[in-house]
Amino acid sequence: MTDPVRTTPDDSTLVRIRGLTTVLNGKTIFDKLDMDIPRGKITAIMGPSGTGKTTLLKHITGQMNADAGTIHVGERNVATLSREELYKLREGIGYLFQNSALLTDFDVFENVAFPLRQHTRLPEVLIRDLVLLKLQAVGLRGAARLTPNELSGGMARRVALARAIVFDPMLILYDEPFVGLDPVALNQVLKLIRTLNQTLGITSVLVAHELEAIKQIAEHVFLIANGKVVAQGDPKTIANDGSAWTRQFFGGEADGPVPFQYPASDYAQELGFAGAKT
Amino acid sequence: MSVRMPQSNNVVIQSLTQIGSCGLFLLTLLGAIPRSLRYFRETLRQIWFVGAMSLTIIMVCGLFIGMVLMLQLYHVLSIFGGTSASGLVVALSVYRELGPVVTALLFAGRAGTSITAEIGLMRATDQIDAMEMMAVDPIAYVATPRFLAGLIAMPLLCCVFSAMAIFGGHLVGVSWLGIDNGTFWSNMTAVIDVHTDIVNGVLLKSLVFGAVVSLIAVFQGFTTPPTSEGVAYATTRTVVASSIAILALDFVLTAFFM
Amino acid sequence: MSQPRSSYAVGTGLFIVLGFAALAYLATQTSSVANIHQGDSYTVDTTFTNIGQLKERAPVKIAGVRVGQVQSISLMAGHDVAEVKLSIDKSFDKIPQDSVATIFTSGLLGDQYVGIQYGSAGKFVAADGKLARTKSTQPLEEMLGKFFGAGGVADNIGGTYAVEASFTNVGTLSAGAPVKMAGVAIGSVQSVQADPVKLNARVVLAIDKRYNEIPDDSAAAVFTSGLIGTQYVAIQPGGSPDVLKNGDEMILTQSAMQLEDLIGKFMVNGSSSDKKDAGNGK
Repeated sequence: MTDPVRTTPDDSTLVRIRGLTTVLNGKTIFDKLDMDIPRGKITAIMGPSGTGKTTLLKHITGQMNADAGTIHVGERNVATLSREELYKLREGIGYLFQNSALLTDFDVFENVAFPLRQHTRLPEVLIRDLVLLKLQAVGLRGAARLTPNELSGGMARRVALARAIVFDPMLILYDEPFVGLDPVALNQVLKLIRTLNQTLGITSVLVAHELEAIKQIAEHVFLIANGKVVAQGDPKTIANDGSAWTRQFFGGEADGPVPFQYPASDYAQELGFAGAKT
Repeated sequence: MSVRMPQSNNVVIQSLTQIGSCGLFLLTLLGAIPRSLRYFRETLRQIWFVGAMSLTIIMVCGLFIGMVLMLQLYHVLSIFGGTSASGLVVALSVYRELGPVVTALLFAGRAGTSITAEIGLMRATDQIDAMEMMAVDPIAYVATPRFLAGLIAMPLLCCVFSAMAIFGGHLVGVSWLGIDNGTFWSNMTAVIDVHTDIVNGVLLKSLVFGAVVSLIAVFQGFTTPPTSEGVAYATTRTVVASSIAILALDFVLTAFFM
Repeated sequence: MSQPRSSYAVGTGLFIVLGFAALAYLATQTSSVANIHQGDSYTVDTTFTNIGQLKERAPVKIAGVRVGQVQSISLMAGHDVAEVKLSIDKSFDKIPQDSVATIFTSGLLGDQYVGIQYGSAGKFVAADGKLARTKSTQPLEEMLGKFFGAGGVADNIGGTYAVEASFTNVGTLSAGAPVKMAGVAIGSVQSVQADPVKLNARVVLAIDKRYNEIPDDSAAAVFTSGLIGTQYVAIQPGGSPDVLKNGDEMILTQSAMQLEDLIGKFMVNGSSSDKKDAGNGK
């Protein structure tokens, strides 16, 4: 199996996005966005809600096509791939869904075994060993026979993580991996992400809002707003670069470049005071 | 993977859009058959869910339909002294109309709704997207096996239903109302024709109904907005659309093949 | 690991087998390709001068209890009698040789069946033996027949010969209606026309050449199969040594009984008390 993601090990950029433009329902999500996601590092993508961070992940995996611009994963232009080539590419990408997205038809073991069964003809013994290995890595080997609805949110996310890494991908995309986790589960997931990155060298892309968590593990941060990258760099420098965007976002201010008010007509006029003047 | 549908306020245009996208969806399903052959086990599993799990309701309903038909016919036919033909009339009406139609309606209510709800929930919980991400084609893995399972299970269910109806008719007619056993069968065998009644009636009709019901169920599951109201609405629509399609197609099939 | 998968496969397999078993049941037990043999049985031959509407698989009864069924019905070659083979259950093998086989009708419009009334002979009918003593259907039953299957028209493979007959009233008889002898179709009505001189109906019957030994004094009658069935021409053989030839005319005819007359007769006979009351009322 030739993995397109692993073809250019010398290049330090794994995902290269150029001039990405997307319009959804008349709203411009991305406006000529450029982004280089470094290979082998943990990259965090941050931004106000509704800036299309999840959409960006879907562009990278080819689930959604942009209106303009190119995305290269390794040397492959995602938008031009055929269905077979796209599926080949996705076998090298792990994707952790916000709500885990475990298949409710199967138990934990079969969920993790699912990609193996679909794409390989491995003997049952080998599948068993591989699955138990990954489950052990996320600390849930004992839960192999539970069904997805018997799992807590944190456990489900760890199972989903085990499933995402069962093929040892070169790239993992985490869509809001910390949402709804208690501090213990959050730390477990944090530890897993770091371990996977350090021991296997897996390039990790996180979409998240949790500042503290990101400061702990991310090596590179992109701040997206209004369809563009407004700031990037390692988390410490970016927090102190002094721009209005970073001040609001990292300082947690309610008003700033991201307005508190949703765009509306003049307040006084809508309440009728403007009319009372005349 | 979702099928996007253009929205319109006009009811006629909306219905036409539905029918049109449903037809296109059928082509997608059929096109995915070669790819879904590797998921043969999944198809088997779905036959178990939509077919074998519907057996109880199909058998009970078939039995009662046969019994009540026989009871009604016996009293009407006794006016003309033709009670001996009641077994025949039960068989004819079950093979040609009631068997395929009632089985299909029950199938839409029992299996169709569960297919729609299941696929809708799979979309709501990102399971369909997860399959896409695991490089598993959801059409080939989720949609086509369910469609094929409906196609295979319906004629079999209809045969079971018809056999149970005949059994019910026999139970009431022969054991209770005292029609002669031989008369019951001889009248039936003298008139019932394998081609007209069983092949064109039971098998052909139920095959078409099975295809239509499972197509509508899978289509609704894949096109519904992945929210709880969306799923609830789609489930209702599966039953309504299936019932209308079944009865309309029944007329067309009867007009053309009998 | 694969345990849940294989249990689905087994269940699905069972379901598919059950479905096909039901299909096989429908096709073999309830339709015309049905197997007429059920259990061990032996065959007995009988002959009837008229079988009326007796059908294959009709029941054979002794003292009203079903003991077998009619296996086949055919016209005996060269004779105007129907050959009926009865298939009787092995457990009823002690039927005296002089027993009488009769064609009965269950009710006015019911199905016909063969009833066997025991004789007193010490010898029993053997397998493939013959019951010589038979009674055919009664004329009333023959007329009223029953609902279904007026009987097919005889095929014309052997060619036909034409015989004319005049009726004062043919009812709804039309060209193509069957001509029957002893209840078995032997030809068809070729044409029905009004005679401008005699002011009656001239009917031309096309009779299969195989049946060329019909006595020339036989009678032709227009009968109805069942109360609301189709009409047909029945030929009742006479005793003359001469036979009907092409172009001959049948002298003895019996016209169609009008349905209204027929019902009227029943009503009148069945409710004589009503008539009396009506008379007293005057």
